[in-house]
Amino acid sequence: MHTARIRRIGIAAVAALSVFTLAACSNAPAAEYDPDEEITLNFTWWGNEDRASRYQQLMDKFTEQHPNIKIEGTFTDFASYYEKRATEAASGGLPDVMQFIDSYIGQYSENGQLLDLNTMSDYIDFSTFDDLMLSMGRVGDKQLALPGGFNVWSMSSNKALLAEYGLDEYEGGTSWEDYSAYMASVTEATDGALYGGTDYTQRIQDFEVWLRQQGQELYEDGALGFTEDDLREFWQLGAADRDGVTAPQNRLEEVAPQTGVAAKMTATELAWSNAMVNYQAESGSEEFSLIAPPTSDPNAKDLYRQGGNQFAIAATTKHPEAAAMFVDYLVNSADAGAVFGTSTGFPASTSRLAGTKLEGADLKVSQYLDSVADRIGPTPPIQNVPYGALEAVFWDLGKSIGLGAISIDDAVQQFFDEAAVSLD
Amino acid sequence: MSAVATRRARRRVGTVVWFIVMIAMIVVVLYPLAWMISASFKPNSEFASNQGFLPHDPTIQNYVKVLAGVAGIPLWRFFLNSLILAVGSVVGTVISASMAAYAFGRLDFRGRPVFFAAMIGTLLLPFHVLLIPQYTIFRMLGMIDTYWPLLLGKFLASEAFFVFLMVQFIRQLPRELDEAARIDGAGHVRIFTSVTLPLIKPALVTSSIFAFIWSWNDFLPPLMYVNSPESYPLPLALRIFNDQTSVTDYGATIAVSVLALLPVLLFFAIFQRFLIEGVATQGLKG
Amino acid sequence: MTTESATQRPIRGVAGSRTGSTGTPRRAGARRRDNLAGYLFLSPWLIGFVGLTAGPMLISLYLAFTDYNLFSPPTWNGVDNFVRLAGDQKFWGSVRITLLYVFIGTPVKLAAALVVAMLLNRASRATGFFRSAFYAPSLIGASVSIALVWRAMFSTDGPIDSALSSIGIDVGGWVGIPALVLPMMILLAVWQFGAPMVIFLAGLKQVPPELYEAAEMDGAGPFRRFRSVTMPMLSPVLFFNLLLEMVHAFQIFASAYIIGSGTGGPAGATNFYTVYLYTRAFANNQMGYASAMAWVLLIVVGIFAAILFKTSNAWVHYAGDQR
Repeated sequence: MHTARIRRIGIAAVAALSVFTLAACSNAPAAEYDPDEEITLNFTWWGNEDRASRYQQLMDKFTEQHPNIKIEGTFTDFASYYEKRATEAASGGLPDVMQFIDSYIGQYSENGQLLDLNTMSDYIDFSTFDDLMLSMGRVGDKQLALPGGFNVWSMSSNKALLAEYGLDEYEGGTSWEDYSAYMASVTEATDGALYGGTDYTQRIQDFEVWLRQQGQELYEDGALGFTEDDLREFWQLGAADRDGVTAPQNRLEEVAPQTGVAAKMTATELAWSNAMVNYQAESGSEEFSLIAPPTSDPNAKDLYRQGGNQFAIAATTKHPEAAAMFVDYLVNSADAGAVFGTSTGFPASTSRLAGTKLEGADLKVSQYLDSVADRIGPTPPIQNVPYGALEAVFWDLGKSIGLGAISIDDAVQQFFDEAAVSLD
Repeated sequence: MSAVATRRARRRVGTVVWFIVMIAMIVVVLYPLAWMISASFKPNSEFASNQGFLPHDPTIQNYVKVLAGVAGIPLWRFFLNSLILAVGSVVGTVISASMAAYAFGRLDFRGRPVFFAAMIGTLLLPFHVLLIPQYTIFRMLGMIDTYWPLLLGKFLASEAFFVFLMVQFIRQLPRELDEAARIDGAGHVRIFTSVTLPLIKPALVTSSIFAFIWSWNDFLPPLMYVNSPESYPLPLALRIFNDQTSVTDYGATIAVSVLALLPVLLFFAIFQRFLIEGVATQGLKG
Repeated sequence: MTTESATQRPIRGVAGSRTGSTGTPRRAGARRRDNLAGYLFLSPWLIGFVGLTAGPMLISLYLAFTDYNLFSPPTWNGVDNFVRLAGDQKFWGSVRITLLYVFIGTPVKLAAALVVAMLLNRASRATGFFRSAFYAPSLIGASVSIALVWRAMFSTDGPIDSALSSIGIDVGGWVGIPALVLPMMILLAVWQFGAPMVIFLAGLKQVPPELYEAAEMDGAGPFRRFRSVTMPMLSPVLFFNLLLEMVHAFQIFASAYIIGSGTGGPAGATNFYTVYLYTRAFANNQMGYASAMAWVLLIVVGIFAAILFKTSNAWVHYAGDQR
């Protein structure tokens, strides 16, 4: 009887103690990672079906290695990606791990939305990145994101389709005027069945490259690095092309959100280097090439490495260590290199690159990067500028110009008005 | 006699002409649906070349491709999601709207005219005014990426259209039935469940069908609140199809659009009388 | 059920109610008697109204006067948002498109509905079938499926383009040409004439045939009969349709969003008011600005509705009851 009661009290005491500790543990975030704790991480990215299945492979592989961590993946298209993040950020509920593009890091860093990855250095191997790669996700001395892959501005060219018409590809690196002449030659030779390209003055990246060829930058110290005249001059560059050389905007509108080159409407398109692999798949073409963009100064270092495919952790995450481990897996593992190749950008870390099999289209990306190495200059630092929103405004205005719905002067005015509001 | 015969002949001609006109209009009005169904059987390669109505080489390839789903999620999953939402909407609507309608239509309580006006006012209210604050509220309640934000309102009679529809019906019911029940000792709840509800069944059925269909087609609220692709209802799933498929895949987009519409059209085919009569009476008493 | 027992003693007075009367309930007593039941039955709606409608409305009214970018708490900026709206070209563009859509689309849609209703208003076994067939588009018209199909139909080399080309009008796909997008959207709206048509039809059937006969005997021709008998008798129904369709048209979103792929379409042609609002709120993180837009919409719709109500006294004729 005695022992029984004592035992009962003892059990009760232990039970009470466990409840206490459990309660304490669940309220405060674990000071250290506990490999026995069942964790579920939310992970989100933008992309298509193909990318989704690749990420699924990685998520499964990660859980094999860390059976207590389950990853719940969600995705959307790019257009609505940051809309969703915005509402989540507003209500304090960003996902644990997010695919992130450099153009939005500045905004999200402003209010501490992203975790400083330096604090998780126990779980992430930074040694596989050179400083340039790290700088793509760095604001001040905080590492807010890490690149999985990087891109360089380039031209995707549908080599197989051009060959069908017996046409040569663009030679790369010529003046902008010569590029226009090339596009015209393609459009004429095929009688409009295949257009030489799309109006390059629509993309803000072309504008940026053009500015850098003249020693200017798109943004400086959080403000615009160019004048209204610069913009006007640039948009006027495309005027002749819009008149029958490049694909008519109203046709492009119909195939949106696909691009002209993916729709086999155009032969070339200026885009990020990782796009080529996707265009080739989407258009069903046998072969695509990556060619150097035009330049007004062959010696200019107008191109740069862009951190388009990075990964960030929400500052409000309840499992920073597990999230960091997953990020490390995404950016550093050989698995990631094998699964993704160059479709989300050229691998940024040496370890991920080591796992990447460079063949076929992926090899072309590698070769392209080597071929334009001379033109690669410093990556613009991340500033608190709404790049994404302004890029969309720029593109919309470019399209409107193409549709004849707005004059260049009005478009310039609108762009600067928008910029004034968003940059203040 | 010939005058009568002429008049009869003229009337017959008139009827024939009328039929022709009506059939012609039906053809025009239903053409988009017909085109959609026919196009879903066209192989992709034909879209640019064959402008005709009928496919040269009919195929079910589009459907096969689409039934496999998108992003590893089979198509039936999206259907199931839509079904859950739709059924939930129906249940919530029928319960809450009928209760509110009974209050407005039968009960006399302080503030009724004001509340009634407020309810009618919500018919004119653009949803966008509520969008941002509602999102924040649901976030605080931890309900993002669940179906709760989409269903909660239905259980709280948020759709004034249904309340209004039922109020009209209830107002038409003779009060004698209520009085008779009351004399037998029934309270309001008994009267509501045993007398009123059975009598407004047409309104309930109409509301259920509309609630089902509107939920099935609902786009913006799921766009805001549902994050995981496995939980997407059909309208969102359609959008992924459209965004992800390569441009030459018109066929798949149209095939999945057809499939998404089938339940609605089916409901309509079966319940058309209820729907149309419900709509008709609503307008009259309005 | 406690509710039942509480209301089961109405004549004796509910405990706690202020009736205090016994025997035959007088009118004032009846009103109070229903209070408890009334609020009980109304409670779901009431909770929803306060929590999901009125509350959020007040919040968004507040936000309309703030600068709220989702990352920092809202900061008060007075009427800045409204001033900015006044100078915002895209805003006025969206206003223009929406007003055109509402005030061209709605009358055309209702006219079609009325015409078809009148055509259907004859005794024939086939009318039921036709009525259903015309009604079907209303059920699916606002869906994503139909938006996608409409987009495909109006693309280059689609059925519309082909049909027009075959009669010599070679304009290409409407989807990509800003000037043709609005007509395309209006056609989509008009295509859904079935719902108002059904209501008109019901209204027409209610017109006592004696009135027509009387008019005919007085020598009135078909147009005169239409003007003097049909229209006045239909006016309540017309009013109802007009109000509902107008309010509905202002809020068009899904079709415009899908057809424009969420971008506001070629050169803002699908940038309807709600699409622009949504873009400002979620793509540009300008929640305060978007809230201001939402309230402007509310007020404008309210004004038009009020105008409709006020003028209805002049032209809406309620037969029989004195309303």
